[in-house]
Amino acid sequence: MKNWAARPALIGLIVPALLGLAWEFGVRYGVVPGRLMPPPSALWTSAVAMVRAGELQSHIAATLWRVLVGFGIGAGAGTVLGLLTGASLWARLLLDPAIQAIRAIPSLAWVPLFILWLGIFETSKLALVALGVFFPVYLGVLSAIQDVDRKLVEVGRVFGLSRFGIVWRITLPAILPVWIAALRSGLGLGFMFVIAAELMGASEGLGFLLLDGQQMGRADSILVAMITFALLGKLADGILVGLSRPLLRWQDVVRAKL
Amino acid sequence: MTKLAIEHLNKTYADGTEALRDVSVRADDGEILAILGGSGCGKTTLLRLVAGLDEASGGGIAVDGAQVRGTSRTISAVFQEPRLLPWLSVADNVAFGAQRLDAEERRTRAEALLARVGLEGYGKRWPKDLSGGQQQRVAIARALIGHPGILLLDEPFSALDPFTRSSLHELVLGLWQELKPTILMVTHDVDEAVFLADRIVVMKPRPGRVHETITVNLPRPRDKISSVFDTVTRRIMHAIDRSLGEDGKAGLRPQAGVHSPWW
Repeated sequence: MKNWAARPALIGLIVPALLGLAWEFGVRYGVVPGRLMPPPSALWTSAVAMVRAGELQSHIAATLWRVLVGFGIGAGAGTVLGLLTGASLWARLLLDPAIQAIRAIPSLAWVPLFILWLGIFETSKLALVALGVFFPVYLGVLSAIQDVDRKLVEVGRVFGLSRFGIVWRITLPAILPVWIAALRSGLGLGFMFVIAAELMGASEGLGFLLLDGQQMGRADSILVAMITFALLGKLADGILVGLSRPLLRWQDVVRAKL
Repeated sequence: MTKLAIEHLNKTYADGTEALRDVSVRADDGEILAILGGSGCGKTTLLRLVAGLDEASGGGIAVDGAQVRGTSRTISAVFQEPRLLPWLSVADNVAFGAQRLDAEERRTRAEALLARVGLEGYGKRWPKDLSGGQQQRVAIARALIGHPGILLLDEPFSALDPFTRSSLHELVLGLWQELKPTILMVTHDVDEAVFLADRIVVMKPRPGRVHETITVNLPRPRDKISSVFDTVTRRIMHAIDRSLGEDGKAGLRPQAGVHSPWW
């Protein structure tokens, strides 16, 4: 029992492994049609073939680049605007209603307009990813600033910090945990929106692989793309968590897993 | 010599609550002045005004003869809660109290003060790893690192157990003897006031006013279980009784139709 509890990841693998086995043998004994539901062994063969051809890597690179650039733009804008509206009442009164109104539009509704304005190539895709990342980051930063403990701000005032000093030494460290959580949900949305953007029309990227698989009737490349998405998303999130962990060691919270 | 002069201070909050009416208090250089009173007599309001965290509705506060508005570099404070910054190490929290010194000087002083408050070797830990009493020690060190002329104490011992409280009383007295800041402390603990203060200002509630000022003529170190200590304590108790007056005593009895107080 003890050994299992020490390796929670292994416990999590049991169900997928059983499902994979059932799938594999289901196809092998003709219970399920293998053409539409390629078994793990067939997926592995396709994946290896795609990697050999250099195909999968270039799709991954295209998608990752879109996510990273879009995430950078969206997270940067969300952070800056969130800080501005959080720190200044005037900025909040002036900007927040407009931003909230834009948020009420489902982000995918922007696609036709982005394509009209920015063309069908990279720029419109980056814009869509950035838009998807922007809102969770903006909202997270704004609400975190409003939740900063007044008592700690008073400590800054008593010990003679300037207005800027209070922002730099009290507000920013205080919102750091929420900011990182907001970046994580923004990153998740970034992956969602990059698929949407690539499904709208692309010549490379994992989203293109999905669409191509559908049109060519190749369930295996669809599934390979989906699994790659899952791995990439998890990996990107893990990197973000890993980078932020040293910054958050001071937190007094229950955090058995992250 | 007068260090701190609080003159005819009034404070009415935006909702119309009158917290302080015409409060005048003076503290000499190096004196420990205790403000004693129950809830609702504006003790904490008074301290927040002196700290510059709130603005008075009328009257003035002068330090060394000069009017102060807002926060001041010579005034430092320990709050009811430790209020340490959780993202700074213990040593950095202490150093936070001396913004103007250079880094080297701050580090040296922080180390020395941590040792002085009995937390040698705790500098690299996080505040979350410390007990409540230890955190309050760090807060005291933070308040003193800049060698303030005036130290404000807002019931900093009230949330602690009696043993910890006693040891912190001794600690504050010791540090006061070394650095001689003027201390303005707010408390509702009569023993604490008599043990620490040179003079005790008894306040009365609704609105907060000064009722009576009593000088504690006891040599230090004071013995909490001596009969002279008892005599002073009793004098203070009488003053508190008088401050509550007739309406105060009536308020102690359960009574129908009495409006609940504002806090």
